[in-house]
Amino acid sequence: MYVLLRHLQRVRREAALPRRAGARSLAIRHVDAGSCNACEHELTATAAPQYDLQRFGLDIVASPRHADVLLVTGPVTTRMADSLRVVYEAMPEPRRVAALGDCALGCGVLGTVAELAGPLEELLPVDIRIPGCPPTPQAIADAILALTR
Amino acid sequence: MSPAAPPHQRVEQEDVAAPGWREACAAARAEGGRFCGAFADRSGSPGRWHALFANGPRTRVLTTVAAGDELPSIVEPIPAADWDEREAHDLYGLRFAGHQPLRPLVAHPSDTPSWTVAVEGEGVHEVAVGPVHAGVIESGHFRFHVVGERILHLDPRLFYKHRGLERAAEGRELAEGLAFAQRACGACAVANSVAYAQAGELALGLVPSRELRRARTLLLELERLYNHLNDVAAVCAGVGFAAGNMAFAALKERALRLNDELAGHRFLFGSIELGASALDLPSPALERARGELRELGQDTARAWREIQFSPSVQARLEGVGILAGEDAVRLGAVGPAARAAGVRIDTRAASPGLWYGSSFSAAIPPGARGDVAARLEVRALELVEVFAILEELLAAPVRPGVASPESAPLALAVARVESPRGETVCALEQGASRLRRLRLRTGSYANWPALAFATAENLLPDFPLINKSFELCYACVDR
Repeated sequence: MYVLLRHLQRVRREAALPRRAGARSLAIRHVDAGSCNACEHELTATAAPQYDLQRFGLDIVASPRHADVLLVTGPVTTRMADSLRVVYEAMPEPRRVAALGDCALGCGVLGTVAELAGPLEELLPVDIRIPGCPPTPQAIADAILALTR
Repeated sequence: MSPAAPPHQRVEQEDVAAPGWREACAAARAEGGRFCGAFADRSGSPGRWHALFANGPRTRVLTTVAAGDELPSIVEPIPAADWDEREAHDLYGLRFAGHQPLRPLVAHPSDTPSWTVAVEGEGVHEVAVGPVHAGVIESGHFRFHVVGERILHLDPRLFYKHRGLERAAEGRELAEGLAFAQRACGACAVANSVAYAQAGELALGLVPSRELRRARTLLLELERLYNHLNDVAAVCAGVGFAAGNMAFAALKERALRLNDELAGHRFLFGSIELGASALDLPSPALERARGELRELGQDTARAWREIQFSPSVQARLEGVGILAGEDAVRLGAVGPAARAAGVRIDTRAASPGLWYGSSFSAAIPPGARGDVAARLEVRALELVEVFAILEELLAAPVRPGVASPESAPLALAVARVESPRGETVCALEQGASRLRRLRLRTGSYANWPALAFATAENLLPDFPLINKSFELCYACVDR
């Protein structure tokens, strides 16, 4: 255990992350609306020691009832469209919607028309757009942190 | 490290009359073939139905004609064909006599009894989870039948992420079709692309050069590296061991940065093409990469030892989510989940089109108990191997490779590749160099029924851990 903690201390030292005090924390709810999963990997990476978004009070919450931001990945398949809407409507105001990744932005989506309901902006009001295939953890961090200022 | 066999898996196709279909498939299995997928082709009329059997570096394809859209089911001699028949029914309208009940798989009817197993008894109730989940995880639905916290049975329902990729690829030029295979899954991008490229090259009569085989093997192992580091991190998260989760998340991040350095993308997207490879790594780049990998390997070994010798972590992993060897074989499980149960299969040992060497063999953990601990141990054993393979591949410059016309074209071609989660099969049918049908059946597709089976008799709070010990994809199952 001690060895792991020392390893993590070394990673933090080498990452030399800036200490910027944001004015606000954010509770984020993620919905996968048919992604290839690369965006999820990069979103998860924002909690890794080299990025550590949790130190700014940014966290993934388990319920939309606790969330400020709805972060959506994927082109929005027809089978996820209803669940996505239920999640959005469960979020109290003020709420924001973020399209994470090129698929959510409707760029370069592959598939048949019958299976795709997206892009996201045709289904929900989109406030933040994070392009990339997938967006890097740094790009995700920068976009979400912009909301806290 | 150079194999002497022809540089591709041989495909042997034979036609079977429909009345003898079940017997022919059972015989193929009895002759040592391992069922590895079945798919429908409705591009002509009547439709055709193909069943694939792997036998080392050979793939047998049995084909029959579905007159009147009905065929005998093979689910009774070959339970591993369950999902293939259900998918063919939902997407292609085929019926399978003897598959009773034929539950919807891709179709999502709203009445639960139509797709779940009826579980009755005192105190039995259902817990429904998903498709939206509490953390950052892919969308899928689980219906647990429980008494208290003890799971009696799990019915998973996936295909919420079904995008129709295979259908959308039809009619495209073979080279264009690769993008559809790659897009199926971010974490299997290389495995799926290589399987597609190899199938496409076999179809076009192209044979890969030494450089092409080396480059693809390098990229496959880079993909395996970050995936296995991810899986160890995930299992730590599954038992609430934050230090282990974070340590392996940090190691995985280093692997992703190395991918970016070597191939220009953290997930190696765009690194695989049909018929060629552009990867060009001269000596200075190789030296840097080998140095980083050596350090990463040492740090990984140290972090793994901490987890291995942490009693509170091991106590959570042992005896949980057991998939026994005979069940793994019966259900057609592949990859680390199968090897953890003692099943000696790894497609890297049967890949003449790559660069693994004739002495490659599957990693089986001591004891092979088939529990979460064993599945984790397989990742650790394979990580040691991955570092060794990468060290050897990067010992000489990596140069652009090509595939050259050297064999006869085929209308139906199949290639099998070992993805991080197990054998991925890509079958395609082509006419005039255009795709008529694409079927991508990944290791995750093969393993979901085994995961559901291994979940029974465990506690509900242990499901996330069991799920993470398999760490199957949803995207490449749904396509």
